[in-house]
Amino acid sequence: MAEASSRPEGSRGILWTSVTVVYALIMLFPIYWMATMMVKPNDAMFARPTQFLFAPTLAHFEYVLAQGFHWYLLTSFLLCTVSTALVVIIGTPAAYAFARFEMRAKDDLFLFILGSRMAPPVCLVIPFYLIFAKVGLLDTFLGLTLAYMTFNLSFYIWVLRSFCRDLPVELEEAAALEGWSRPQIFRRVVFPLLRNGIVATAVLCFIFAWNEFLFAFMLGGRAVQTLPVSIPKLITSQGVRWGEMAVVGMTALIPVLIVVFILQRHIVRGLTLGAVKG
Amino acid sequence: MTRASDRMTTAPAPVSAPVLRERRWYPYLLIAPSMIMLVVVSLVPFLYAIYLSFHAAKFGRVTDFIGFDNYAVLLADPRFWNSIGVAATFVVIAVPIEFILGLIGALVLNQNVRGRSLLIPLLFMPTMMAPIVVGLLWKIMLAGSWGFLSYNVLERFNLLEGTSVFASSDYALYALIFVDIWQWTPFMMLAFFAGLQALPLGPYRAAAVDGANPLQMFFHITLPLMTPLLAVIGLLRFIDAFKVFDTIYILTGGGPGISTETPSILANKMTFEFWNIGEASALAVLVWIAFFAFCSIFYQIAKKKLNAF
Repeated sequence: MAEASSRPEGSRGILWTSVTVVYALIMLFPIYWMATMMVKPNDAMFARPTQFLFAPTLAHFEYVLAQGFHWYLLTSFLLCTVSTALVVIIGTPAAYAFARFEMRAKDDLFLFILGSRMAPPVCLVIPFYLIFAKVGLLDTFLGLTLAYMTFNLSFYIWVLRSFCRDLPVELEEAAALEGWSRPQIFRRVVFPLLRNGIVATAVLCFIFAWNEFLFAFMLGGRAVQTLPVSIPKLITSQGVRWGEMAVVGMTALIPVLIVVFILQRHIVRGLTLGAVKG
Repeated sequence: MTRASDRMTTAPAPVSAPVLRERRWYPYLLIAPSMIMLVVVSLVPFLYAIYLSFHAAKFGRVTDFIGFDNYAVLLADPRFWNSIGVAATFVVIAVPIEFILGLIGALVLNQNVRGRSLLIPLLFMPTMMAPIVVGLLWKIMLAGSWGFLSYNVLERFNLLEGTSVFASSDYALYALIFVDIWQWTPFMMLAFFAGLQALPLGPYRAAAVDGANPLQMFFHITLPLMTPLLAVIGLLRFIDAFKVFDTIYILTGGGPGISTETPSILANKMTFEFWNIGEASALAVLVWIAFFAFCSIFYQIAKKKLNAF
């Protein structure tokens, strides 16, 4: 804002920076605390008063690997990759069409897409469960991929459309006057300009699928078990395996940590469904 | 970065020019795969839920058509009204606090804060991480006698002893609200910050010439310009807050008793614990309709006032 930039900044900039840094450190402390739990022996974990120094152990990692949690990691990764790829393949043309062409009942279609995105997952999981049980999609890779379409395909179309609208239409018109076919225009003119938007939106879809819990929990199970679903399973009849949960939880955080740094301002645009152009 | 002034004053993005328009079936071809997919995964389940809600359906077996009986039973169930009350309390306390803290945070971040490209991603962590991990995090922080906060704060200051906050029917809901605030304030903050960054500089220069102080500038320039954006983001958060499931599920599971049981948690219990699918579907349909109403309000505001979609 003008008030800030029109005045000489020195001490005030440092003051506000330190306020923000302190705030961030306090907010992120729980994540740091969970990270220390990964290597904290049980007696130090439950110590009163809180023990800050301890001899690190790898026991939790060993247990997690022995229980085959790397397979859940692999399942999660495959499921998110496949469902995101499908979303990109069928969603990109739709987003482009919604941004560029007049269509009948366009507003109603939008509301339908927005409704799919906003629908509480718990409402969907009931009919999904019964339908999937009937057609044999329960606990299958395909079933979960389909279920993820409800929130990710609608999200993708909605947000990518806002990226499409930022492209100047004149380039496409010029190409059309040159006599290029529509697929050519899309491939040579639109796609290169839209690539960043596609990547940003797809990465967000990947993360939503990665973080998803309810569908994976109710519609998955033994054969298809994702990482988030495996976390509550560590609350066993012999007690809660806190250290192991911390290991799995931190593993689930790795892609998120990478993505927040790569996407930066695109996250705001995604999370506000394109309403705010970060 | 797009300026708000552009966004608010220009006409909607140009829809196709004549040269691109001649074949009328083309756009429908482009949207067909997505639309078919969405009908299958979204409309069909919705219609099926409506169908189920009019039938006696227990233990996975769908039998007689019973009209509105499921709805009547549901509306007479105090547990249903309790869940509405819990969700309303949750949203009405959590969202305004997130809103105000987010706005303050955005104003702070908008001062000449350095290292934003490092700070902003880090601040986004709570919002972007899996809700189930958020739940886990706070289970660890607030666990019974040894959790970092429950020992060093709650017990030290005699607020609560001998039990976890999540096991106390007086405090569990407020603990969940606290967790939601932790998780979502960064989102509000960074969305508002993006809005502040897009504000035009002109009015501030004029106001500075007139000798306005920062407080006057905030109330007479910033706030009016930001109103549509604040409304859209507030509404979006409001809609999302109603359907919180994962964190509540792992932290309290709706308990103790029914003190933190939201409609989402109740519908899930009705389905997968009591196997009372008819009534659960009735609940799902009611929640769905309410959400759809909120969605269309959100859409109208975002489209008309913000020219966003």
